[in-house]
Amino acid sequence: MVLSQNVSAVGPLNLYPMVHISLVFGISYVLPDFSDESCTLKMTLRNLQSILSWELKNHSIVPTHYTLWYTIMSKQEDMKIVGDCTNITRSFCDLTDVWVNMTEMYIPKVVGFRGNAALVSCVGSFFLAMDTLPLDPPEFEIVGFTDHISVNVKFQSVAPKILNEEELQFYLALIEEQSGGTVKKHKPQINGNVTENFIYVIDKLIPKTNYCVSVYFEPKHPRKIKRSPLKCTLFQPGWESESSESATIGGIITLFLMAAVVISTVMMLKRIGYICLRNNSPKVLNFYKLSVWVFPELPPLEKVATVEVIHINRKKKVWNYNYDDESDSDNEAAPRTSAGGYTTHGLTGRLWPASVSSATLEDCSDPAAEERDLPDPEADAETLMAPGPSPWQSECTSRGYQGRGNLLQDPFSEEDSSPTEGSGDRIVFNVDLNSVCVRALEDNDDSEVTPMLPSGPEETVVLEDPDETESNLLLVASGEGTQLPFPGPSAQYPWPEDSPSDKSDTSESDVDMGDGYVMR
Amino acid sequence: MSAEPDVIRKCMWPVCLMGLFVTSVLSLDCNLLNVHLRRVTWQNLSLLRRMSKSFPIECLRESKAFELPQEILSHTQPLTRDIKEAFYEMSRQAFHIFIQDTFKSTWEEKHLRQVQIGLDQQLQYLEQCLEEEEENEDMREVAEDERTQSGTPVPQLSNLELRRYFNRIDRFLKDKKYSHCAWEIVRVEIRRCFYFFHKFTALLRRK
Repeated sequence: MVLSQNVSAVGPLNLYPMVHISLVFGISYVLPDFSDESCTLKMTLRNLQSILSWELKNHSIVPTHYTLWYTIMSKQEDMKIVGDCTNITRSFCDLTDVWVNMTEMYIPKVVGFRGNAALVSCVGSFFLAMDTLPLDPPEFEIVGFTDHISVNVKFQSVAPKILNEEELQFYLALIEEQSGGTVKKHKPQINGNVTENFIYVIDKLIPKTNYCVSVYFEPKHPRKIKRSPLKCTLFQPGWESESSESATIGGIITLFLMAAVVISTVMMLKRIGYICLRNNSPKVLNFYKLSVWVFPELPPLEKVATVEVIHINRKKKVWNYNYDDESDSDNEAAPRTSAGGYTTHGLTGRLWPASVSSATLEDCSDPAAEERDLPDPEADAETLMAPGPSPWQSECTSRGYQGRGNLLQDPFSEEDSSPTEGSGDRIVFNVDLNSVCVRALEDNDDSEVTPMLPSGPEETVVLEDPDETESNLLLVASGEGTQLPFPGPSAQYPWPEDSPSDKSDTSESDVDMGDGYVMR
Repeated sequence: MSAEPDVIRKCMWPVCLMGLFVTSVLSLDCNLLNVHLRRVTWQNLSLLRRMSKSFPIECLRESKAFELPQEILSHTQPLTRDIKEAFYEMSRQAFHIFIQDTFKSTWEEKHLRQVQIGLDQQLQYLEQCLEEEEENEDMREVAEDERTQSGTPVPQLSNLELRRYFNRIDRFLKDKKYSHCAWEIVRVEIRRCFYFFHKFTALLRRK
């Protein structure tokens, strides 16, 4: 709101009645010009300059020149004339260097003359701190660049004395931009005196958009703000900005492609198994569990029995004796594969290490069984151990028993049949339990008989004695050319618990052959 | 007898406003004293300007130099408490002037009431903050004694000068018999005083 002082022009004719009255009443005084609403006085700060302007309300009165006087309220002083504003034709006066006290109440008086006659007189009062109109906005220019708009604000080089540093902080410069109705305020920091030009840059603009800028001063205390007229420019970024945009888009696309390539490569490697290998190891191999380290879980004990097959390689002895019957027996029977899939070994000449000979077997053997595979323990057993004995059979049985024990000796090796002193060869073989006889050993130190364990037919038997590994032996043969080891003096075997139920499956009933042998 | 309800009705509104302002004042933080004083002082300045359209030129010859004690700002390092006490003294004296009923015809009553309420609010706020500061005054009193011995002007002189200043104003009014021109001249002078103290609040802000 513009503060204006409405002062009436006082003509000299109006004074006469009052003078007359004063004379009548014995009172005389010189009545100064009194205010009358004849003109409007305004105090403005234009470019930080104190400008007093006036405008006559009665336009029919047109003075040719004006003169300005003023006084103050704080002291009893006469009116002072302003030298720069004497007999001026303009209707304003620069009082920047005249009115310097912000706390003072100034009383200006403007008299309009035509020639030497005073046509109009205007008087007002201004308390500079508050009665000053809002600052006129400064001059400025805007320049559009490719990526920003530059606002150049121009201030006067001379600061008014009424504006000391404290008062300068009173005002702030704001720049607005209007784009499609959107108003954005900027508050540039003015460092130093408000007398130097400064440049403010507005960036982050929308291309191909019309921007308008206005500047104004804003006092700290609520006052009316006087804004400058808008100055507009169309923001059109050049090739550089467009190319930058395209470069940005290209960069983004490139990044996406690279990311896609990397992800696909990683997925492929993972599928191949080159990375991120799965750990399918059993739980017992999972050493990352703390409980495993603290409380190691012992693997479940598996009941196994040690079975050791000791090969005793024996040189073939050629018997020069001309025994027709025996000559054949010297020859080791080549292992023949039986119809049942068993490998037979010719053991006729080797049954008795000293005295046992195949003759015994031959004597005792059932002629019908001659053609059977000799290392067929079952067959042997049947031959030798058949119940219903004839005397010779029983004898054969006993002998055969012994012989059988030796029968089980490796025919190919006579060097050392002791498993303790054996060659150490171990053989793991499948045993057809239907073809073997089983005997449970019971602390028999002198037992030279090879025990046979009942196990599932054609099952691989690997027996281990965890306690005695030296003298313990092994077992049993069937099948495929395996040799029967010999028990040690004190062999103990953990019998497999999962004794097959094949025993019951076989049509043959178990026949106790004495000495613990159970024949199937 | 019928005047009592009218009086009550008339006084109800300003009393309620006073109560609200007192409550709001008492809840104010003394750390924001400078902000509050600056705001209230500027409001009073605006009110005094609106109370009269323009200064009557015919009253110009009755003007008088009341000699506002601007030297209270000339101290090199006035203490915060001294500034507050000066503000309190100025508010109290100005309130005493405007609480008189002799200028009812001069200005609009609503403007006058607003000035009174503003000054009273200012007084309450300053009293609260000065009481809080008295609790921590022991050390400052020792410092003031030292300053007194060093020859630096005692800050209490500023309050004495203020009292003399307002006494001159009050005497002017009485001499002029509370005429219209006397009140207009006093209004202009009080505006100068308020603006002077408005600049004074800048010292509180800097501290």
